[in-house]
Amino acid sequence: MPEVVIPIGPQHPALKEPVNFRVIADGEKIVRLDLDLSYNHRGIEKAAEQRNFIRVLPLLERVCGICSHSHATAFAKGIEELMGLRIPPRAQYIRTIIAELERMHSHLLWLGVAAHEIGFNTLFMWTWRDREEVQDTLEEMSGNRVHYGMNEVGGVRRDLSASQVKAALGRLPSLQERIGKYVDMVNNQRTMLVRFRGIGTLSKEEALEFGTVGPTARASGVDYDTRRDDPYLVYDEVPWDVVTASDGDVFGRTEVRIGEIAESIRIVRHCLENLPEGPIRVNAPKTAPKGEVLSRYEAPRGELVHFIRTNGTDRVERVDIRTPTLANWTSVAHELVGQNLADIPVIVAAIDPCLSCTSRLTVINSRDKKECQVSFEELRRKKKTTWAGGGPA
Amino acid sequence: MNEPCSLDFVRETMKDFGTADQAGRGRFRIDTTPEKIRNAVNACRERLHCNRFIAISSADTPPVLELIYHFTGPHRAVISLAIGVPREAPVTPTLSDILPPAGILERQIHDLFGIEFTGHPGLKKIILNEDWPEGEFPLRKDWKPGPDTFYGGFREG
Repeated sequence: MPEVVIPIGPQHPALKEPVNFRVIADGEKIVRLDLDLSYNHRGIEKAAEQRNFIRVLPLLERVCGICSHSHATAFAKGIEELMGLRIPPRAQYIRTIIAELERMHSHLLWLGVAAHEIGFNTLFMWTWRDREEVQDTLEEMSGNRVHYGMNEVGGVRRDLSASQVKAALGRLPSLQERIGKYVDMVNNQRTMLVRFRGIGTLSKEEALEFGTVGPTARASGVDYDTRRDDPYLVYDEVPWDVVTASDGDVFGRTEVRIGEIAESIRIVRHCLENLPEGPIRVNAPKTAPKGEVLSRYEAPRGELVHFIRTNGTDRVERVDIRTPTLANWTSVAHELVGQNLADIPVIVAAIDPCLSCTSRLTVINSRDKKECQVSFEELRRKKKTTWAGGGPA
Repeated sequence: MNEPCSLDFVRETMKDFGTADQAGRGRFRIDTTPEKIRNAVNACRERLHCNRFIAISSADTPPVLELIYHFTGPHRAVISLAIGVPREAPVTPTLSDILPPAGILERQIHDLFGIEFTGHPGLKKIILNEDWPEGEFPLRKDWKPGPDTFYGGFREG
């Protein structure tokens, strides 16, 4: 069979965000994948150089709608390190609570999307309903569901009242119970086992070689988690464990994410119960001394890196953002080779791609080879026929 | 090799490539040159046990464009190898063959700063739109959008 080029995206029903890739397939099997990330590029790094520290935080928070707190915290803690500020413990605890709530809602969102990709819409509805509990907590604390606006250089902008703490603690037991149910389902539910096991496998060596980060890497047994390796906020004071799995497939990534939700509940509970008294911010100087810092942060999708260079003024000389999804694309391109076309949505979804963060994928032509275009409808039909027989041939 | 990296150990191991400095808790920085970067990266991975590549950071600091390669390993320290690529002739060897994840980052830096990575198998546009004009590198400090230049997308009017 001649090789067929299938363009997917930037607007595509199987993808939750715009990304553009070109899949080169031989029959049902994928031969190669090319990426184009330009669709969402907004030039935020350039724009950040024109704004002072007060105005740049809301901008960076808008790099991404899911890990908004991650970007703001990564930047704020980098600048605070350069300024040599000591942040009050209460502020650090509040930042940690928001960070872990963000991880919970992000992983629950992912679990729903993954369930939806395999046609298991009941689980999708359940997880998104549970996610609302987390979203409600975030809204109560910050006033917002998406961009919490909690950070500023020097601390946080809003304090938590005793009643907010009580309400948040009250929601945790039912969430914990639901997580137990999902662990059960992942291990026993036939639909999930068939569609997740052995799909998109990545060995430990490959995961390291391709530079994967976050749950994608930890599912392959790569024991790296920035929260433990390069502690920030209060992760070195709170009891919690790094979750890893050894399967290396989509099933392993599901296991890791569900395990991380349980750990996040533990961290949030500890922080809420042991919230220290005191101020929530210190007055930060307007300018930062000349210097540079590599600010690492474990976002829900993996390690997020802000490289910040200052020049003694109230603006950054350069802020270079390496997002987790960008680090994971190399492995996706590798994993897809030899897999079925029908598994593209679930394999791509398994890294939990966050494209407004990454915002930089491109599709490539296979030049002189015969090309033909396959619509998404056709891809959907193929998915149905492939899986109607109970699995790939 | 789980014990933390010491500055002396890093200095001794990397002395052929440049002097190592401690830049904060668990951060080491070595300034080297584009000619030595490939060997320095190999040494960093083999002798300093850095099995994880984090990122390439980039900045425009005239007269050079600076590239900083960050690594970490089981010792959890971050080793950063910095090189300066002359702005007038921005050429440096690629690392995409020894470090697969560098390929995508080099394409991005090529788009935004105009650095040529010799030996890169497909240095095509990745982050800027395909109709972005050639020779315009938006993250360079002296870049200003031309009043009559068309930067892609829709033409108004």
